[in-house]
Amino acid sequence: MATQISTTNVVPRVIPWRTISSIILLIFFVLFLAVPLWNLVMEMVANPQLLMRQLIIGITNGAYIALIALGYTLVYGIIELINFAHGEVYMLGVFFSLTLIGLFGLSSSTPPELLFPLMLLILLVTMTFTALLNVSIERVAYRRLRNAPRLAPLISAIGVSFVLQNVGQLWGFLRFPIFNGVMGSNAVAPKSYPQLISNYNVLSFLGENVRIRLTIRDLVVLAVSFSLLVALYLFIQKTKLGKAMRATAQDRDASALMGIDVNRTISLAFLLGGALAGAAGMLVGMYNGTAVFNMGFTAGLRSFTAAVLGGIGNIVGAMFGGLLIGLISALSDQYLSARWTNAVVFGLLVIILVFRPTGLLGEEGGQKA
Amino acid sequence: MEQEQLILEAKGVTKQFGGLTAVNNIDFSIKAGSITSLIGPNGAGKTTFFNMITGLYKPTHGTITFAGRRIDGLKPDLVTASGIGRTFQNIRLFAHMTALENVLVGQHVRMHAGLFGILMRTRAVREEEERVRARGLELLDYVGLGRKRADELSKNLPYGAQRRLEIARALATDPKMLLLDEPTAGMNPQETDDLTKLIRQIRDSLGITVLLIEHDMKVVMGISEHITVLDRGIKIAEGTADEVRSNEQVIEAYLGKGAAAHGKGGQRPAAA
Amino acid sequence: MNPRIRSGITGGVVGALVTIVTGGLVGYFSGMLAGLIAGLLASQLEHLSDMRQGWRQGLEAGLVAGALVVVGQLIRTLMIEPALGNQWSFGTALQIGASSLVLAAVVSIIFGVVRTLPQPKDTIATYAVLGVLILLYPWIDTLLQMRFMNEVIPVLVFVLMALGLNIVVGYAGLLDLGYAAFFAIGAYTTGMIASPHFGLNTSFWIAIWVAAAVAAIFGIILGAPTLPLRGDYLAIVTLGFGEIVPIAANNLDSLTINILGYTVVENLDLTGGPKGINPISRPWLPGIGEFNPTNQIPWYYLILAIMIFSIFFILRLRNSRLGRAWTAMREDEMAAEAMGINIVRTKLLAFAMGATFSGFAGAFYGAYISAIFPESFRFDVSVMLLCMVILGGLGNITGVILGGLIIQFADRLFLPHLAQLVQSLAQNSNNDVLKEINFASDFRLLMFGLTLVIMMQLRPEGLVPSARRRMELHSDEAQPDVITGNVTIDAEPDEGGRLTV
Repeated sequence: MATQISTTNVVPRVIPWRTISSIILLIFFVLFLAVPLWNLVMEMVANPQLLMRQLIIGITNGAYIALIALGYTLVYGIIELINFAHGEVYMLGVFFSLTLIGLFGLSSSTPPELLFPLMLLILLVTMTFTALLNVSIERVAYRRLRNAPRLAPLISAIGVSFVLQNVGQLWGFLRFPIFNGVMGSNAVAPKSYPQLISNYNVLSFLGENVRIRLTIRDLVVLAVSFSLLVALYLFIQKTKLGKAMRATAQDRDASALMGIDVNRTISLAFLLGGALAGAAGMLVGMYNGTAVFNMGFTAGLRSFTAAVLGGIGNIVGAMFGGLLIGLISALSDQYLSARWTNAVVFGLLVIILVFRPTGLLGEEGGQKA
Repeated sequence: MEQEQLILEAKGVTKQFGGLTAVNNIDFSIKAGSITSLIGPNGAGKTTFFNMITGLYKPTHGTITFAGRRIDGLKPDLVTASGIGRTFQNIRLFAHMTALENVLVGQHVRMHAGLFGILMRTRAVREEEERVRARGLELLDYVGLGRKRADELSKNLPYGAQRRLEIARALATDPKMLLLDEPTAGMNPQETDDLTKLIRQIRDSLGITVLLIEHDMKVVMGISEHITVLDRGIKIAEGTADEVRSNEQVIEAYLGKGAAAHGKGGQRPAAA
Repeated sequence: MNPRIRSGITGGVVGALVTIVTGGLVGYFSGMLAGLIAGLLASQLEHLSDMRQGWRQGLEAGLVAGALVVVGQLIRTLMIEPALGNQWSFGTALQIGASSLVLAAVVSIIFGVVRTLPQPKDTIATYAVLGVLILLYPWIDTLLQMRFMNEVIPVLVFVLMALGLNIVVGYAGLLDLGYAAFFAIGAYTTGMIASPHFGLNTSFWIAIWVAAAVAAIFGIILGAPTLPLRGDYLAIVTLGFGEIVPIAANNLDSLTINILGYTVVENLDLTGGPKGINPISRPWLPGIGEFNPTNQIPWYYLILAIMIFSIFFILRLRNSRLGRAWTAMREDEMAAEAMGINIVRTKLLAFAMGATFSGFAGAFYGAYISAIFPESFRFDVSVMLLCMVILGGLGNITGVILGGLIIQFADRLFLPHLAQLVQSLAQNSNNDVLKEINFASDFRLLMFGLTLVIMMQLRPEGLVPSARRRMELHSDEAQPDVITGNVTIDAEPDEGGRLTV
């Protein structure tokens, strides 16, 4: 009969950290947050029209956040790099479109037959600019580092982000007469966008008592964003290049063996992401009316959170994530305080990454250890 | 009369990855002080099984008991603390640490230096460092690496030396059982011979139980007192070298159907 | 190129730039600085053991350096000063120039000779000479009317923080992008207890320890959620915390806490909000009395003492069971765990230790400025610290100090002086655009960003890498994963550097 050998020193203790921290968080939540949250919900319900307006703002913001989020998700899905500079690409899109608007001398008094075609043109040119910018960033700063330890391209990305922020700061020096004064009088101050699309409340026909506001601006942003999102989705799903992108995201080496030009596919991801960021830039510029050099940071943070929320690498996920983050930000701005919104979004990011890093809709493109 | 003592007992161990069952309901036990080999064709589940013992994976079903305590599901550092040391199939030394430093890391689990002691450089900590260094050098000598090479970066060592260093590092954890994952892979016959001698010495003079995964049949047949054969996740045979060598299923697994019918078997081992 | 000439040029260029940008009597200091750099670099590149030869090496490098400083001096006196509207005699310029040449040569020779001593005497002697220069610096500064002291002290604070960050990023391999949070916590803790804010008015000497302890605790709290995360995600989460802390500091000036409906705390001003906490008590020593903003010298020695104290303990940590566990974990986390290292504990200790030194820095800084504001702790502080660690060489104390000094001096001294210079020149030239450009702030981000990008492309291991690091980053064979590189066998032998600590 066999007997067991007696042991020596170590008694292995297993402490269920995850369970403990979840319980602590739950207690914390109940004690400190449950009541204020309840009050918050009551407040929201009390004024439904204000809530509706916030929801509309949220969805509109969500649309442009989704556009930027797609840039993050496309790049991360294909080379597993967080393109820190992406927010700045968006910011430069805002500035670029503003400059073009100045160049063409557009303003609220421009006749519609001239205004809309020119704005469309500006949109396309801006998108081209940001697309090419993003591609160049990849070429210059990331390509050589593709096989380096992940620290290197990450640091590089941060560096590029800083450089571009500075470019945004200095953009205001373009105060040449042909730009018709859009850059304002002070190089480093925020610039204001001319009022190009009217703020007319489409729902005003519902009468005096209905104070829900849905403006033409909202509709334009929604329409353009939605079209772009659908276009991108179709591109990724239906075209050959889109398929190549999905394949490269899943397994780069296998794709190369199948004859896919990996470098070009990666550049394509940057190209598309950049283009969408540029579109978002112009839309936001028109919607919010300002351009300032550090708007890339906040937008980038929110969009990245959206991408992670939806599942990084997941296209549809980025869209839903964007919407969700847009809503949360709008609600936080209104019912909590705009000062805290960044912290709320960051907090949400931390929670997702710790408790559900694959996001709500799950990752695509494979996780490499 | 000597009683047989089982140092490791695995009962009904299964590991499923999604739809794939890598290890299927294996019962496996090791006698204390023995040298046991785990063999089988590629993909048989040997390394998965190893990884379940050392805590890298948690078994989907089944239990693993070591020296009287359940270890299935424990994290790797606790498994090591319980007395199991291991080496890796693809050498995983700390490449940019010196040979001695690698062995010192191995001793981590048996050291007591805590934050306070380290910051204050108490006498206990200083003495422990000296002891640990001395033992590290001894271990380097013991495995045949030599204390002269103590300050060489481990990535600069020749292949054979690296394998030995990994063993030294595992020995540094003061194990009761040593798990060696293909220790002779890539070695020429002379190196293989030396390593085999070392393994035997480890068991004989240090009393450490040894479990090997090996592909080199000469080593397996020559050194093992007990052999277990896995194929496609299940145990298909176990016993002494002779028993296993002539087992039809084993021959089939390695050489394909029909090989057993033609009387093909393993070679006789060279004189040990 | 001859290494002596190369070293001489490096030192000389630095010295010349300092002179051009600052002018005045700084020429003497530039000479010494140039000589120091030239001498150290030359002896590093070309190790000699004969004192005579060392003498010559120092002399050659020093003369080259000195010559460049003279050129700088001439440029300053003959081109820049007149443009600023000052008249300087050619004679004075020559005098300063000649003296700086001599000083450069002398300092360089000292290092050249000292470095020929056998180990370990040469390391000890080198540090001794450097130590003397560092201790004498305040007098040099006063004598030459350099007025750098105001900036030198914050520089040292940031270098201390970089050393703390080095523990987290360099030793343990955890990419922390939000390190400034611990600086903030240290400063705010000091602000809260060593000031009239809550009426506590604790002595600075006690507050600094409390601040470090609180920072360490937060290190654990903020580090804990990051434990299961890998590289990129770890960076983002730490970035998140790095942002949340200043936002919280900015907004917690009217804190109301309700527990299940009962108001526990109402409108508490915890952090002073955007206006910060102000004033904060200063340290007091017998014989010197209370430290005050007019006399920089006690502050200088205090921060030096804190730094030396910290380096001492960081070295102990590095050469210990814990330090090895950090390195092993960074190299290969899975293998480290298999060797019995408790990864959770090891990572948390890294965060805690890193945070502690940042806590010291924060406490000192709070007392020094005698006020703290949320704006001082933003993301670019964290990135700048990371920059310093990376530029200098991850995991290497000397490198981190060097990288830190370079970036900090460039940011706080060189750029602002350059900006001032350009401004003054511009005023006299009636160029509108030039007048508006404010170099110091307008190109700062560009400078950091370019440094990061260029460093990663050309020399990711930093200026003074530990031998390990250089190998890690230049092996092209296998794909190392994240920061815990697991690189395959390389046949090339490898040598460690000499001054590496």
